[in-house]
Amino acid sequence: MLSNTGNFLLLLSISFTSFIIYQSFICLKETNDVIFKSIYKISLLQSTTILICFFTLIGAFIVSDFSLINVYQNSHTLKPIFYKISGTWGNHEGSLLLWVIILTIFSFLFLITNKNHPKNYRVNTLIIQNILILGFLFFILFNSNPFSSISPIPKEGLGLNPILQDPALAIHPPLLYVGFVGSSIYFSAAMASVITNYSGKSFAQSIKSWVIISWSFQTLGILVGSIWAYYELGWGGFWFWDPVENASLLPWFAMTALLHSLLVLEKRNILYFWSIILCLLTFTLSVTGTFLVRSGILNSVHTFANDPSRGIYILSFLSLMIFASVYILFAKYKPTHDQINSNSKETFILINNWFMMFYLITVLLGTLYPIFTDAISNNKISVGPPFYNSVIIPVVVVFLFFMAVGPKVKWIKNGFLNFKDLLKIIGGAIAVNFVITYFFKSYSLISNLIIISSVFLIISTFLDTFKKSKINFARIISHFSFGFLIFFIGLNHNFSIEKDFNLKLGETIKIDNYNFKLKDLKLQQYDNYKAVIGKIQISDLSTNEKRTLNPEIRIYNNPQTLTYEASIKTNFFRDYYLTMSNIDRSDYYNIKFQKKPLMIWIWISVVMLSFGGFLSFIRNAKNN
Amino acid sequence: MKIKIFLIIFFINFNLNLGSIEPIDESKIHKNLRCLVCQGQSIADSNSEFALTLKMVVKDLIKNGKSEDEIYDFLSEKYGDWILYNPKLNVGNLLLWSLPYLALVLGGAIIVSLVRKQSKKT
Repeated sequence: MLSNTGNFLLLLSISFTSFIIYQSFICLKETNDVIFKSIYKISLLQSTTILICFFTLIGAFIVSDFSLINVYQNSHTLKPIFYKISGTWGNHEGSLLLWVIILTIFSFLFLITNKNHPKNYRVNTLIIQNILILGFLFFILFNSNPFSSISPIPKEGLGLNPILQDPALAIHPPLLYVGFVGSSIYFSAAMASVITNYSGKSFAQSIKSWVIISWSFQTLGILVGSIWAYYELGWGGFWFWDPVENASLLPWFAMTALLHSLLVLEKRNILYFWSIILCLLTFTLSVTGTFLVRSGILNSVHTFANDPSRGIYILSFLSLMIFASVYILFAKYKPTHDQINSNSKETFILINNWFMMFYLITVLLGTLYPIFTDAISNNKISVGPPFYNSVIIPVVVVFLFFMAVGPKVKWIKNGFLNFKDLLKIIGGAIAVNFVITYFFKSYSLISNLIIISSVFLIISTFLDTFKKSKINFARIISHFSFGFLIFFIGLNHNFSIEKDFNLKLGETIKIDNYNFKLKDLKLQQYDNYKAVIGKIQISDLSTNEKRTLNPEIRIYNNPQTLTYEASIKTNFFRDYYLTMSNIDRSDYYNIKFQKKPLMIWIWISVVMLSFGGFLSFIRNAKNN
Repeated sequence: MKIKIFLIIFFINFNLNLGSIEPIDESKIHKNLRCLVCQGQSIADSNSEFALTLKMVVKDLIKNGKSEDEIYDFLSEKYGDWILYNPKLNVGNLLLWSLPYLALVLGGAIIVSLVRKQSKKT
């Protein structure tokens, strides 16, 4: 029953989308500057239909309608209601529907909020956006249909992968999707801008809000993903340079670059073609990311669902997109003579773009290289954290210095930079680093440089708040928290303590300054899993503090899976992080213990970073 | 004067950790080895039988006086390069290690040329 409703709504959306495209072409032929009322109406209908379609699927998950293959494969009657709902977008088919929702809603919002821009530009944007929507709707209908039915109807579903049954992972995809699917609208707008020769300042203004809002959500989405990885995957890290993590980071680099180059386009009317390239690149990378995740071409902790035929569809779609955008760019490209002074804000923003492209290329190369070596020489290699750390981190040091200085420089002019002041701030940063190494612990040369440069960024951004001229708080907050992010990651990395040992029930072990005792193990039965809960007492011999942590080994019923739940004790100074796992054919348990200083500040820094984005969005909305 | 003081502090900063020779860090080696039977985990993160065995092998190799690099060479010969998270610097991986820096240099050159072109005009 719900299968028919869903399929009907999908077909209805396809007809609405086609009709919008058709009407838009007619509208383009008209000479007046008005968009047909009907286009607005159908756009609204289109968004509503897709939303209802999505709610139908949620409904099917809530009532456990196993006549749908999708529900059968990803749900279970005994699953808590919250995870029944989040299971809707926790799988490939449902998440694609979420894709299309964001595509259509952004399409509709862009149509109604840009009334002061010319008709041709808006209608062309609408056409391109709806071609994208159509592409994804066909993909859903013919390849990844969440409403495909199954017969005979199974009595019970297979259940959702237990490590996906998690609040952070329930909100992770929607946040991330607003980010990188949201970038579709400036992909379409950029194409339309090139087609209709609507360039420069006004183009920058029309997409700026969209770039900022998608950037802010993308930042939050990445954050929630890494918080999830931190407490769920049990290695105690929050970033593994895993292909799927990289896939979310690549569009972020492009967006960040775009965010900055748009400032130049808006202010100085230069870097137009570069900004267009970044618009196209951002969405292309988003689709690439989806391709990498969904095709299963990469080996990753996060690849939960994959199937080659999906990969082929997305790959053809992607190639078509790239081909079309490159063609349009070449056909319309006009060389410009941009005027840039060496010591101006424009130059520093270019430097930001330069570094962003470096990060992007490095991460893209590291992610794709194993595929190439495998295809060409049959030699499978791994590109892991050591590669990214050794290539990227030294460059970040230089980047942070530019990031601190850039905003102090004026537009256009060879503005005067006060080097004496900068030297003082560097001195201060070195002093802070000296205090840390002297009183706590010394660390490697590169760590010294990272701490110094991040403190430099923090201090100099902080001093910007005392300027007499008007202050851009959004920028200050974002730069400030980025400095803190790197600073805390640096400290966290250097001051983390890690212990790995085996214990059996009742045993105590002394390692350095800590005593660990496995006091108790108890078996507990829950709705959808049973758990072995350990009671491990940690005594800090230097302060005589005692703490009890309760790591779990969970055995989920549907599907049968073993997971290890870390026990984490957080406060503002440090996290205690402990996982316990059974060792086959032995009554010993393997314990991994970590003390991670200032962990929570890493999360807070990223929240602040994206808050800067939201603030800038509000500011920008007020100005227009 | 102030600059001199800063320079002195600057160098003391780095001298603190120069002279010492660090012993081989076992857990660092573990983190650089892929657990071949797991999905995207290093052997440090895994308790699979494979990871446990490999940890023992690493321990033995260290005991036999092997250096970190020798351990990686030994294991990659046995299991293939797939096991190393830090890709080797060899002919096959030349592009991987060099392209990022080439891009960095190229990007820098583009910016310099953009800005230079301008300053010639004025």
